Amino acid sequence: MTNNGTRWALLGVTAATAVGVGRAAARRRRRHQPERQDGWYVVRRGVTVDRSRDDVIGFWTDRERLDRALAGWATLEQLDERRWRCVARDRAGGETQWRAEITVEEAGTLRWRVEDGPMPQLGRIELAEAPQGRGTEIRAELRYRSGPVRRLAGLVGGDEPDLALRDALRRVKALIECGQVVDTRNDPSGRSPGQEKATDKVRETLMTGGRA
Amino acid sequence: MRALCWEGVGKLVVRDVPEPRIRAEGDIIVRVRASSVCGSDLHLINGYLPAMREGDILGHEFMGEVVETGPGVRRHRVGDRVVVGSVVACGGCWYCRTEQYSLCDNSNPQPVFTEKLWGHSPAGILGYSHAAGGYAGSHAEYIRVPFGDLGAFAVPDGVPDDSVVFASDAMPTGWMAADFCGLTGGEVVAVWGAGGVGQMAARSAQVLGAERVIMIDRFPDRLATATERIGVETINYAETDVLEALRELTAGRGPDACIEAVGMESHDVGPTYAYDRVKQAARLQTDRPTSVRQAIMACRKGGTVSIVGVYAGLVDKFPLGAAMNKALVLRMGQMHAQRYIPMLLDRLATGEIDPGYLATHPLSLEQGAQGYELFEKKEDGCLRSVLHP
Ligand SMILES: NC(=O)c1ccc[n+]([C@@H]2O[C@H](COP(=O)([O-])OP(=O)(O)OC[C@H]3O[C@@H](n4cnc5c(N)ncnc54)[C@H](O)[C@@H]3O)[C@@H](O)[C@H]2O)c1
Ligand SMILES: [Zn+2]
Ligand SMILES: [Zn+2]
Repeated sequence: MTNNGTRWALLGVTAATAVGVGRAAARRRRRHQPERQDGWYVVRRGVTVDRSRDDVIGFWTDRERLDRALAGWATLEQLDERRWRCVARDRAGGETQWRAEITVEEAGTLRWRVEDGPMPQLGRIELAEAPQGRGTEIRAELRYRSGPVRRLAGLVGGDEPDLALRDALRRVKALIECGQVVDTRNDPSGRSPGQEKATDKVRETLMTGGRA
Repeated sequence: MRALCWEGVGKLVVRDVPEPRIRAEGDIIVRVRASSVCGSDLHLINGYLPAMREGDILGHEFMGEVVETGPGVRRHRVGDRVVVGSVVACGGCWYCRTEQYSLCDNSNPQPVFTEKLWGHSPAGILGYSHAAGGYAGSHAEYIRVPFGDLGAFAVPDGVPDDSVVFASDAMPTGWMAADFCGLTGGEVVAVWGAGGVGQMAARSAQVLGAERVIMIDRFPDRLATATERIGVETINYAETDVLEALRELTAGRGPDACIEAVGMESHDVGPTYAYDRVKQAARLQTDRPTSVRQAIMACRKGGTVSIVGVYAGLVDKFPLGAAMNKALVLRMGQMHAQRYIPMLLDRLATGEIDPGYLATHPLSLEQGAQGYELFEKKEDGCLRSVLHP
């Protein structure tokens, strides 16, 4: 991760990891089944960031930013130039891990591939200039299958990787634009611990995914 | 610390709650000195704006003193007296860059509800339910203000707390309502709702060049206050046919601009009101749009209808045909606090706009529930109760 052109591979690792974690909250929702192609589920999502393409790429200069983008969902270890090991932790303390391989194809396009772990996936991110000086469109395409772990957990098909991808893009946008992902979960309230727990569930639902 | 919490539809209780802490670099913690009730709170308390949770701290129109700053804060220091806009804005997205702060992309961390309801999520708002981000509100001893450099403004010396507190919400909302009207001088402007927001809209319309302002409400004391304080003409809709009266007052033309500062719990005297209440109670429509309908019908051809009363969902019998065929301009929105507050503080300091008279009922935090009751029933001449934690 030394030269400018490839540094932003960190954005790819972030997306790959976030999708792989496929946050538990999304589990209950499967309103629409994603499109299927050659045995893969395919979803495409985009987000517009109010920064130039160079700024979007340049943002990914350090691990700290990547760790903030993943905020407690997972930890990452770089194995070599292209390969990363992701370890995701769930609330119950369980761990799942997999390896992601990131390939920067050209300035503004990268691919990722995860072959093991809970959810084999192929992903692609493309940066395009948004019209009217609105910054940069980050367009992501994700292909995934159900791995054995997901099948065990009853997560065959379903749209939770899609929701996770949207989450990841939203976090990435917020980090680049304002340096933080706002969190109100610890704001004071007059709730009992039980009520707070129930409210946290509601918050989680309202934080996950997006437009129907 | 003590805080006024929502405990279910119509129920407010003061409780002991934990104090807020700095969570992000740009946060500031403000010790609240004055925190006002607002018409929007009534929609929240009564369950018309959804996604309130038991224990949520209410309040979003406030001022106070900075007691702690995050490491990224540049403009404020401990001890500063500040007023805080109720809208949370990140300062880094396209909407913030173009000063449309209430449309900020990044300040609602729980955007899914509004994305589903409205297609996109607008900004978060302090103390305004989980649909608007789930932020704790200002009816408390302390509040965490995210993006403090952008959201909090130093208050000019000599302006009392109970006056400058309205630079948080009622003033910028009223100003934006008048700004929407595109006044160039000499217009006749009608304002529905003589609450704090409507009164500030009326005064702002004058400052922006309106020659005549006509206010519509049913509370004689509110109308009398408006006449006395800002010199407006008035119509009591409980006694007079509003459309008829507006036509006569403008020699048949209709007002050039109509401002709606009433909102989704609009009240009416005719049979449609019963119809609206039944439909709203049965959740067949979420909002009662009486005054919006009237504003559209009253407005002159080619005029502007400016809506700052808050609506949440669906309305019925919306006179789209009148709006279309009269070629009306419709403008509406939550106010862009950060855009207007600095300019309004200047006008406040010179006395050009003086909102102090809105604070009819200064109360303690412990009297919060009573303050809302007075405000909701418009008893004892209450325009706004201002709590002092
Ligand atoms: N857009 C924003 O950013 C923003 C900010 C603050 C408040 N608001 C909204 O502005 C509205 C007014 O707020 P407020 O604090 O002045 O409330 P308020 O309750 O003090 O005033 C509302 C007034 O409307 C009057 N009214 C009711 N039905 C009417 C009708 N059919 N015709 C004429 N008047 C009628 C009431 O008698 C009352 O005096 C609320 O909907 C509030 O949510 C919007
Ligand atoms: Zn308000
Ligand atoms: Zn913003």
